[in-house]
Amino acid sequence: MDKKKVCMVGDFSVGKTSLTQKFVNNVFSEQYLTTIGVKIDTAIVDETKLIVWDVAGRDSLSPINLSYLVGASGIALVADGTRPETVDDLHSIWDTVEKRIGKVPTVVALNKRDLPEWSVTPEQIQSLKERGWIVFETSAKEGVEVEGLFTQLCRLIQ
Amino acid sequence: MAALSLQKHINKQLYDKWDLAYLYTDKNLKVVEVSDGLTLYGYPEIPLGCEVEDYVDFMVGFDASTRVDLPLVESPSGITVAVNLIPSKRGLAIVFSNASHLAEQRQLLQQKANENELLLRQQRILTHRLEQASKELEGKNEALREAARLQNSFLSGVSHEFRTPLSSIIGYTNLLERETHNPDKNPEAYANCRSYLRAVKRSSKHILSLVENLLDHGKLDADQIVIRPKPCDLHEVFDDIRLLLSPLAGTKNVEFTLQTNFEPGCMVIADDSRLRQCLLNIVGNAVKFTDKGSVTLKAELNRELLSIEVIDTGEGISKDNLAKIRIPFFQVADTGKAGTGLGLTITEGLIELMGGELVIRSELHQGTQVSFELPMPLLEAEALAMPEPSIDIDQLKVLLAEDDSDIADLLVMLLDEQNIEVTHVSNGALALEASEHEQFDLILMDLHMPVMDGYQAMEAMQKGGNTVPVAVMSASNLSEDRLQAQQYGCAAYLTKPVEIEEILLLANQLTSEA
Repeated sequence: MDKKKVCMVGDFSVGKTSLTQKFVNNVFSEQYLTTIGVKIDTAIVDETKLIVWDVAGRDSLSPINLSYLVGASGIALVADGTRPETVDDLHSIWDTVEKRIGKVPTVVALNKRDLPEWSVTPEQIQSLKERGWIVFETSAKEGVEVEGLFTQLCRLIQ
Repeated sequence: MAALSLQKHINKQLYDKWDLAYLYTDKNLKVVEVSDGLTLYGYPEIPLGCEVEDYVDFMVGFDASTRVDLPLVESPSGITVAVNLIPSKRGLAIVFSNASHLAEQRQLLQQKANENELLLRQQRILTHRLEQASKELEGKNEALREAARLQNSFLSGVSHEFRTPLSSIIGYTNLLERETHNPDKNPEAYANCRSYLRAVKRSSKHILSLVENLLDHGKLDADQIVIRPKPCDLHEVFDDIRLLLSPLAGTKNVEFTLQTNFEPGCMVIADDSRLRQCLLNIVGNAVKFTDKGSVTLKAELNRELLSIEVIDTGEGISKDNLAKIRIPFFQVADTGKAGTGLGLTITEGLIELMGGELVIRSELHQGTQVSFELPMPLLEAEALAMPEPSIDIDQLKVLLAEDDSDIADLLVMLLDEQNIEVTHVSNGALALEASEHEQFDLILMDLHMPVMDGYQAMEAMQKGGNTVPVAVMSASNLSEDRLQAQQYGCAAYLTKPVEIEEILLLANQLTSEA
């Protein structure tokens, strides 16, 4: 079976772990527990074994550790739709990622679509699409577009 | 050999002390050596010669030349490890060390830092919202202050508006009193009296229209105005506006033009009095605020939709004032034109009730265009063929229940002039008594009277089997009063001041129906 490494990247508390856990184990927890370093999970998608690296989010204390991204075939950029600044941050995060591992297929998850505080603007979505990324409005809590996100990423890297 | 064995022994001691584990692979990433401790981190027993990525997931994507440090990786056992990939000539060394202590410390610090940052963000949002709310409140306060200011200015405006015609009424009635004291009644004195009376009537009507405006505004606010569509001649409505406003336009040398695409006798179903009221206000304003040029009233009826446009070449309205003119009591300060500041508010409300929307376009010094459209069903041809009731009210016997002696005397005199026999009583009890002992054709009933009010009298009459039509005359124009009167069997509801023509028309209708 073909094996591919993909990485979940984005600011802290945007829902990278929640999306991964929902996809891999179909579980969701309301409790916020920050990821330290990296957690690695696996899932089979279309006869491909995806090795999902759930990388600690960027925060005020530490940048993303780019070593974790070495060897990645694809990237899922994740932002919190209720914190519009995390959507804008995706551009600079991607620039850093690209410098380290080069251009790889990328999808975008704008997460927490279920919350009433959702405040992503059409202009923000447009600016993401202009980079050639497919944008998913996901809800890890309700399982909305989670499978679509990973399936799409898998197709891009196959 | 002994030296190599010793070296291995020392290495094992060190690996055990630091919980180190390792994997060696060849250049093709096939496993060539595995340390004992690897199973402690949850990895399975790895047979020599197999591919490392089949047993260690995180190795997918790496090759034998990759040198990388992965400081904190959660191992399958849940223990966080540091992983170092060290390439060599023979292959790749993958070294694992226990980093759980570091991970725990980082977890505590990072969790707090991130939670704090989220809280700070929340705090910033709440502060921003508070500031917004505070600004909105300030805006509302300002609006309230503006409303209070408008209310005050309205009150002083209204008192001024009332005072002017009242002064005129008092002045002319004084003159009348003086003239009628003069024993030498010559034609000139009579002519003066007639002129004074006309002035009194004009002022009284002005006061009445002020009161009606105030009442309409109150009723619009309380959703109490009901549109009562009935058959009417549409052309007549517009002709009335022309007749009423042409003289005023004429005195100002303003050309007034009426353009319609329908002829006299164009019968529609509409509340003609409310439509007339709206047109009078809009066209009246156009004439009032145009000092030279023209005022054009255009009306087109197409497919049961009436489109109205009023265009004037007057001063126009500034952008600021245009935004405010729909506010109740607002009046453009520098025009020096009288009014209550309610007309447009009422007109807009009435047009909405009739199913239209008022549109005003204007620029300062560029004139004004006001337009609206109303649904206007045409009257069916059969309904047009209904015969007009004939008027025959001679010898009618009317019972008048009215406690105000001035109004009663006036009505008795006016009805008497029409050969109508009137019996006047001053309260409901006397009206009830009279109706039981004498046969009348019509009962005119005031509502608020001493001893027994109009409602009680009508209720008693209803219980007593009265068949004579009762027409209520009341100063109240509220729907609930009308409804209550109808419940007690009133056949018609007239609002004061009641004109004699209204009574005659009603008398004719009620008695012909009877």
